[in-house]
Amino acid sequence: MNIRRVIINFIFIVASFVLQTTVFRALDFGGVAPNLLMIFTASFGFIKGDKAGLLSGFFCGLLIDIFFGSFLGLYALIYMYLGFLIGKLHDIFYSQNVAIPICFITIGDFVYGFICYVILFLFRNRFNISFYMMKVIIPEVVYTALVAIFYYPIILYVNNKIDDREQRSAKKFV
Amino acid sequence: MSPIIKRRGEEFTLPSKYLLFILTVLCTALILITFKTNLFAGPLNSFSGIFVVPFQKGITKVGTHIKDTTDRLASISKLLDENEKLKEEIAELTEKNAYLEQDKYKLTELQKLYEIDSEYDNYHKVGANIIAKDAGNWYYCFVIDKGSDDGLMVDMNVIAGGGLVGIITDVGPDWAKVESIIADNEAVSAMVLSSSDNMMVTGDLEKYKTGLISFSKLVDDADKVRVGDKVVTSNISNKYVPGILIGYINEIADDSNNLTKSGTITPKVDFAHMNQVLVITELKQKAK
Repeated sequence: MNIRRVIINFIFIVASFVLQTTVFRALDFGGVAPNLLMIFTASFGFIKGDKAGLLSGFFCGLLIDIFFGSFLGLYALIYMYLGFLIGKLHDIFYSQNVAIPICFITIGDFVYGFICYVILFLFRNRFNISFYMMKVIIPEVVYTALVAIFYYPIILYVNNKIDDREQRSAKKFV
Repeated sequence: MSPIIKRRGEEFTLPSKYLLFILTVLCTALILITFKTNLFAGPLNSFSGIFVVPFQKGITKVGTHIKDTTDRLASISKLLDENEKLKEEIAELTEKNAYLEQDKYKLTELQKLYEIDSEYDNYHKVGANIIAKDAGNWYYCFVIDKGSDDGLMVDMNVIAGGGLVGIITDVGPDWAKVESIIADNEAVSAMVLSSSDNMMVTGDLEKYKTGLISFSKLVDDADKVRVGDKVVTSNISNKYVPGILIGYINEIADDSNNLTKSGTITPKVDFAHMNQVLVITELKQKAK
């Protein structure tokens, strides 16, 4: 973790958040916007491992908490655990293949939507799960998966660049 | 890097499960602390003011500009057709205008009767642009580009297009978070204008998708409330200033307890196409 990586990832998180709340809010389908921060958390975890996943998840969630949460920490917790779990898959799969990470981003977003439903709605006696599934969770998952097809390669490319640079500078000192 | 520093770096490396555990505890503590108090609002607000809000402002500005120019180009041919139609309409409207002039006298008279409406004009208001909307798809809150520097405070009411939009729940130096009345976790104390019966208006995600919000706990023994009646914020609410139009009753039915009624309201504000809002810079606690 050098300073360059931290700064670039910070920019990634802020850019995802800003795009998610402005541009993609204007480009929504049926009032549903894609979850860019989920894509970033999941892909970063998938590329770099569980620790990176949980850290990026924590900061993504915290950003949402600061702006839109009624109290701090809830989204940070959800994102962090999802980033951690998807990060666990880093050891099993290759990150170069695009299809597998997209699958896990989709699953991650679905789980995220479901947890949100349970914590924020089910606990307040909103039992109409089929409605929330069809109107919020599934559209969000589909839209997120579509955007992830384009977003994941960008994250992968930037990360590979940083890795290359780090390896080169490490070699210099040998 | 010297080997000493590197070894030191490795010493500080934390296994991810411990990091997860620490951060979990931190999050839980944060939830518990911020659930009751407002301890971290200051530093975090200034953080977002520096890093996030300027980008949101810029992108929204550029976005609306691009949209405006493309709309303008696309609409030229339409405009020519419309121009023809409008000329015909002008003739019609001049005639109607004469009638309306007469109605105007009636209006001023009625406004005197409903003193509420004139009061509503007297509130001091500040215009603001919406620069970001909710990151998730569950609630409906948004961020506006005015903050405490412009005199905004938490619990100030937000209106648009003559109707109630929501309430400010968080304020930074140059941004403020508005929670709208259609958000699923919001409730407003309201009353029917014609009969002054009180009720609770609650946002509902299920109904909102069909463009409605729901109300409940309406006590109306005399059966006076009808479909189409105006619903305004009530006098007894401790946060909303009285007499702001919320919407019109769309549907009304008896509750199973036969004491109260509930139903749906068509909101006055078009929440899907809202870019500018007005903030009433008067708090209910201080307002008369």
